[in-house]
Amino acid sequence: MTKTLTFLGIESSCDDTAAAIVRAGPAGTSILASVVAGQTALHAAFGGVVPEIAARAHAEKLDLCVEEAMDRAGVRFADLDGIAVTAGPGLIGGVMAGVMCAKGIAAGAGLPLVGVNHLAGHALTPRLTDDLAFPYLMLLVSGGHCQFLIAHGPEDFTRLGGTIDDAPGEAFDKTAKLLGLPQPGGPAVEAEAALGDAARFAFPRPLLDRAGCDMSFSGLKTALLRARDAAIADHGGLPRATRSDLCAGFQAAVRDVLAEKSRRALTEYLALAPAHPVFAVAGGVAANQAIRTALETVAARAGARFIAPPLALCTDNAAMIAWAGIERFRLGQSDGMDLSARPRWPLDQSAPALLGSGKKGAKA
Amino acid sequence: MPAEPLILGFDTSAAHCAAALLAGDRLIAAQLEEMSKGQAERLMPMMEEMLAEAGIGWRDLAVLGVGIGPGNFTGVRIAVAAARGLALALGIPAVGVSTLEARALGQPRPIAVIEDARRDMVYWQHFTDDGTSPPALAALADLPAVLKGQVVTGTAAAIAAAHLRGAHVLGPVMPLAEAIAREALLRRGAPGARPAPLYLRGADAAPPSDPPPVILG
Repeated sequence: MTKTLTFLGIESSCDDTAAAIVRAGPAGTSILASVVAGQTALHAAFGGVVPEIAARAHAEKLDLCVEEAMDRAGVRFADLDGIAVTAGPGLIGGVMAGVMCAKGIAAGAGLPLVGVNHLAGHALTPRLTDDLAFPYLMLLVSGGHCQFLIAHGPEDFTRLGGTIDDAPGEAFDKTAKLLGLPQPGGPAVEAEAALGDAARFAFPRPLLDRAGCDMSFSGLKTALLRARDAAIADHGGLPRATRSDLCAGFQAAVRDVLAEKSRRALTEYLALAPAHPVFAVAGGVAANQAIRTALETVAARAGARFIAPPLALCTDNAAMIAWAGIERFRLGQSDGMDLSARPRWPLDQSAPALLGSGKKGAKA
Repeated sequence: MPAEPLILGFDTSAAHCAAALLAGDRLIAAQLEEMSKGQAERLMPMMEEMLAEAGIGWRDLAVLGVGIGPGNFTGVRIAVAAARGLALALGIPAVGVSTLEARALGQPRPIAVIEDARRDMVYWQHFTDDGTSPPALAALADLPAVLKGQVVTGTAAAIAAAHLRGAHVLGPVMPLAEAIAREALLRRGAPGARPAPLYLRGADAAPPSDPPPVILG
């Protein structure tokens, strides 16, 4: 019989300050409260997340978010069994603020502290929402990450491949910026793409000619910039219809790459002969309807069930951190007051580094 | 349990982890560890060790005092975030005390506190019987003339004195963490807003250089 556990989760690895209360027990798992305070307006003028600005905001918002989550959930510290906190990978100033706030709470309340890998939070979300059994295939596709993982256990992941440069969400943001569309770029580019002709611009599908599940999106951004500049040179500005066509072409290229690499990842995953094959996606890019439809089709063809958690649990949130903390805690794991915040922390420690293979080690 | 309130003051705004414990106005424990990195890992264990040695638990504390800088941005956030988390879970006030205020504590008035801000810059604040100037960042060469001939203290006081003819330099009267704890004791009746870092420097972010395209039609 599994004991009921109630955890506070804290997340501050990018530009969302989040706190949540999750309760898991024999009666099932429920999110008692999930608070996310975004910082979009703070970074809007800079065309991207500025780490120092993010860290400053986190440091003064974290405890407020925790209070709000506890109020909404109607729980006191005495009702909690542990504090889970994102300890990396991410923007180090924000991660550190979250880890220190969590240490203060854990010490003050006399509760266990559990450091959580942010990527594990995303990768374990389908178990929070759909009670999935291991092993399942996961595509994590967001503004900061893009990788295929086979989840074998709460701390046991095999990475099949991922982006070797930009994440697709980042590419959507940069595309929006290049085309004078608002941030975040994902929804803006998708809306514009719906009006355009995807066939007008032949954008590259990077790395499709290469075996495996690795991806690259930075060349796509460069191709888009060239096409944009050519149009501006021809017309003395960017015609609205051309902008729509650029968006449609860009989105189609991302969709095709993700779909084809998903097909290959599914083949590798199905070789494990899982009893109930599942392909799950998480991350903000999973909210893109064109991409989602393509991934659903690939899953259906491979005979795998397709799962995408609700958007609020696909993008950065603290419910996934509380849940991943519960999963780790159930394995008998927790951390001391010397828990480190880590800018780099790959989920799969054995796979070769995709990014940042310098002396500091792989980023993700 | 002693009858006097227990106050824990701590600071990581520079290359150290510093903490001090007061019982009322009596200093009963203090710790200072110099380190250029690793404060986030060391701060909480160091304070736990200090409290345990004094036979005190986190729940015995009545007030927290925390250094809010100015200083190293990340360092300041380490202590401030921990203080806010502790205050929330313990249900006690946390008082934010700037390094400038802490250095002025116990010194005569008027006094100017001048702290090293690197790159030939200093953080300074002037404390007089009539009031206090706002904390500020200045180039050493641009320190205001009003400070000439004044009594000064702080990590950059001696260097600044060379620019302020006739300035008289005083050494510190107590360690930083103890001053933070004592200042928190003084303010415990009206702790004010939650502690927030005092940066005095911007985030060093520049808007993008490439403007968006002109959209036609």
